[in-house]
Amino acid sequence: MERLSVTFLLLLSLLNAENVNIYERNCVACHKRLTVSLDKFFFNYLLKHSSERRVKEALYDFIKNPTKKKVLASEELIKQYGLMPKTALSDTDLRKAIDTYWETYKVFGKIK
Amino acid sequence: MSASNATATSISHSERRTLLRFLGLYAFLALLILILGSTIYYTLQKDLMLQTKRLELEEHSKELIDGLKLLHIYFDRYRTYPRNPLYRSAIYDADKVRIFSTLKHPESVQLDKVIYTTGHVIHYIHVLDSYYLGAKYVVVEIDDDGEWFLQTWKNLLLYGGAMLTLFLLAGLALVRLFLAPMRNAIRLLDHFIKDTTHELNTPVNAILSNIEMIDTQNLEPKLRKKIKRIEIAARTISNIYQDLTYLVLNHKIASQNREVDLSRLVQERADYFKILAESKKIEIETDIQPGVKLWIDEGKMARLIDNLLSNAIKYNRRGGEIFVRLRPGELLVQDTGSGMDEKQIKEVFKRYKRFDTSAGGFGIGLNIVAMIAKEYGLHIDIHSKKGKGSEVFIQWNG
Repeated sequence: MERLSVTFLLLLSLLNAENVNIYERNCVACHKRLTVSLDKFFFNYLLKHSSERRVKEALYDFIKNPTKKKVLASEELIKQYGLMPKTALSDTDLRKAIDTYWETYKVFGKIK
Repeated sequence: MSASNATATSISHSERRTLLRFLGLYAFLALLILILGSTIYYTLQKDLMLQTKRLELEEHSKELIDGLKLLHIYFDRYRTYPRNPLYRSAIYDADKVRIFSTLKHPESVQLDKVIYTTGHVIHYIHVLDSYYLGAKYVVVEIDDDGEWFLQTWKNLLLYGGAMLTLFLLAGLALVRLFLAPMRNAIRLLDHFIKDTTHELNTPVNAILSNIEMIDTQNLEPKLRKKIKRIEIAARTISNIYQDLTYLVLNHKIASQNREVDLSRLVQERADYFKILAESKKIEIETDIQPGVKLWIDEGKMARLIDNLLSNAIKYNRRGGEIFVRLRPGELLVQDTGSGMDEKQIKEVFKRYKRFDTSAGGFGIGLNIVAMIAKEYGLHIDIHSKKGKGSEVFIQWNG
């Protein structure tokens, strides 16, 4: 029984590590070159969409099909770097990456 | 003097009962109106208090939002929630998920309202346009000192009590006004009965004692018949006189209870009524067990028996029969009269109730029977069949 739970935990951490990898490889890697950090984008999304469900939906919608209308970044930034390209990630991977993004910057449990 | 008091007592008793019933209904309606008014007043006072507190809470929420704005911008450096000892607060996202709270009871917050009070706290909800830290709803909470609540209740009790008293006084005045005609009518009737009673005594006694002195044996049959008729009439009047006297004086005359030989008394009364019964060709048959005794006022018992016999004659058919049976613990008077239905039996003891107006009388006989029975704990049972006759059982613990 104990062995089984250890195996389960191991499997879970592996899966989580895989999610993190998707996010790191596909989001962080690209955003590194921008002058604005990823957490600033996150707080912009939070400011506009409020809840976890809404933020994730808005992110998914934008990454799947980025338009100037939907973008939350400043005009100067867009001028400088242009709109991000449509993602090549599958829906599942994209949702996994967004989940990791949320988990990384969410405010729940961090306010003192 | 005594008669007048007794009459007044009987009027005021029934009047008081009517008065109380009306006042009860009136007070109930007045109370309903007061409760409705009080509810409206309470709600208004509560709203007024909330509107007053709202300004203060709005100030607190503005200060809190400023703090949230700063925290949103500098979240990577500072994570301390903006607090103030003057109030407690909480933030909720657009899906009403709690982000952070310093409230006493954050789980029961009603985000659909603007301002409300529960228990001893007042909540104010501000909806944000820009969701700092993801917060759409900002809840500010302060303690309710309950001052308004106490003041409102004080006012309600004070003014409500005063209004209820006013309502009742107005009701009392109204009911007296409405009852005045009825009261006057009853008073008139009772005065009439009282005056008649006083005036009846002397002539009836004179007629009866003079008739008894006449030696009817030596008279011509025609004249004897006439004298007999006069005697019947005089006895009938005497009986009515006795009833009326009982009615107007019974409250003032102390009962002289003793062991009464009922067997003798019932036989005596039956014999007395035989002359009256003869006028309608009614036969009175008696089955009286000797030695039956009862602890009672003899005059009252005589009234009871007289009234039963008088009714049995009054409501009997011509040529009918009356059967009187006396046993220890039970007196039965049976007649072959018109009888009564269930509804009539229920109303038979009411004063001035007469089912056959052609039979004469005031409708007080059975009321007197009921009064005497009540005083001595006698049980009355009436069996009657329309068209067949009635049986009245008087029972006691013999």
